[in-house]
Amino acid sequence: MSRSSRAVVTLPKTAKRGEVFSIRAIVQHEMESGFRHTEQGVRVPRDIIREFVCTYNGKEVFKADLHPGVGSNPLFIFYAKADQSGTLEFKWTGDNDYLTIVKQAITVL
Amino acid sequence: MRLLGQCALLGLLLTSTPFLQADSRVSAYALMSPTNQAMQNDMSLNPAMFWIMDGEALWIDRNNPSSKACVDCHSDVKQSMKGVSATFPKRVQGKLLNLEGQINQCRTTRQQSPAFAYESKPLLALSTLIAYQSRGLPIAASKDSAIDADFQKGKTLYFQRMGQLNLSCAQCHDDRAGLKLAGSVIPQAHPTGYPIYRLEWQNVGSLQRRLRNCMSGVRAEQYPYGSVELAQIELYLMRRANGMRIESPAIRP
Amino acid sequence: MNQRRVFITSLTALTLSPWQSTSATPSDAMQAMKAIVGNRPVNTGRIYFELPPLVENGNLVAIKFSVQSPMTQNDYVKAIHIIAEANPLPNVVSCYFTPLSGKAEASTRIRLADSQKVWALAQMSDGSFWRTSVDTVVTLSACTEMI
Repeated sequence: MSRSSRAVVTLPKTAKRGEVFSIRAIVQHEMESGFRHTEQGVRVPRDIIREFVCTYNGKEVFKADLHPGVGSNPLFIFYAKADQSGTLEFKWTGDNDYLTIVKQAITVL
Repeated sequence: MRLLGQCALLGLLLTSTPFLQADSRVSAYALMSPTNQAMQNDMSLNPAMFWIMDGEALWIDRNNPSSKACVDCHSDVKQSMKGVSATFPKRVQGKLLNLEGQINQCRTTRQQSPAFAYESKPLLALSTLIAYQSRGLPIAASKDSAIDADFQKGKTLYFQRMGQLNLSCAQCHDDRAGLKLAGSVIPQAHPTGYPIYRLEWQNVGSLQRRLRNCMSGVRAEQYPYGSVELAQIELYLMRRANGMRIESPAIRP
Repeated sequence: MNQRRVFITSLTALTLSPWQSTSATPSDAMQAMKAIVGNRPVNTGRIYFELPPLVENGNLVAIKFSVQSPMTQNDYVKAIHIIAEANPLPNVVSCYFTPLSGKAEASTRIRLADSQKVWALAQMSDGSFWRTSVDTVVTLSACTEMI
């Protein structure tokens, strides 16, 4: 049973063939670094997203390896080249069986 | 005779701005970097959006003994809650309540459920959702004369020295606003953006959390969450900031 | 008697800071880069790396980086790695591109533990490496919170 959280992706609904368009993807996650301590001095264990991948009709367009140095509620703004109409898939995986997948369609004219 | 009338008018104008000089009031938004300002303005970059979405889910949640959700009494949150957070704290059924207090009153009396704890996810989600509906509107602090005594008490607390450092709110936020404390510019402390996503907290938090933060900053014993003292200070701050634009949910460093 | 107790408690409070854990050093950052680059040469420049020179709060710092490239199958940017000299860990984030990216540019938000030098290291499809760095001053909130 995997844990998941909210994710919001922003990209245009349509694009012209060959056009390079920007994509925003933000996910709700505390990114507990593993370097924080409670007041009693007990270390709070690491719990972060490790990888984010964006594929466009199954082909990788952007990938990121995340380490504890990435801020809470990780945001990525990146680009993709409009090729065929289809689906962009956004996948976040991380510690403690974390998995979130979001899909969004795009029409290429 | 005419000169007397003009003097009287001038006198009236000078005394009608009781707090800071006519309008030298500035939100802490102005002190932030352009990047952080953009993070606040653009909801697709503002992490508080997740709390708003959680709030939207709670707004329609009927999973409680009354089987009633907020939506059953208040319908569309965008309509019913527009301008609402701008008027709190106010007197509700004889008691001084801030927004969180009002949410909990509905929760306990209408939904027959235990009150949400301060800084709990559900309470932050609902207060962020409701406060967001007042974004862009001016603060319209309650002018109810029945809470004037609370306002005076809040004012007294604001000007009262406290803690091991023996400082009052006014000494930093009135007298020294714009000067620096340990590398940070001291803001005027207007509650225009609450609940805020504070970068230091990596979380959304209430005005009461921030007030308690200040109190621990001067090494004073903090008033408990939901206490009448904190509500009185909130009321003082809201009347002091009356008319300023609401930015909720704001980003703060 | 009471004063001594207060003094000791405040001393311990000062040392129980969240950054008590180990911090990377410039040589750790160099090691992290070496692990990526191996023995191959690294050129300086070519990367556009935007990071504010003064940061109000190190918990969420917006950065942007890009490399001009045709982004074709024969000539594209494979990866840009961000490495910090004074965070607890030197590797912060690595972004991987393909010709389908269209542009080798990304923005994200990172954590910075202290004032430091931050590196951007780019890996090209032809096997070459480029790097650049930005120095930044990180200030934290004046009043500490006791929850």
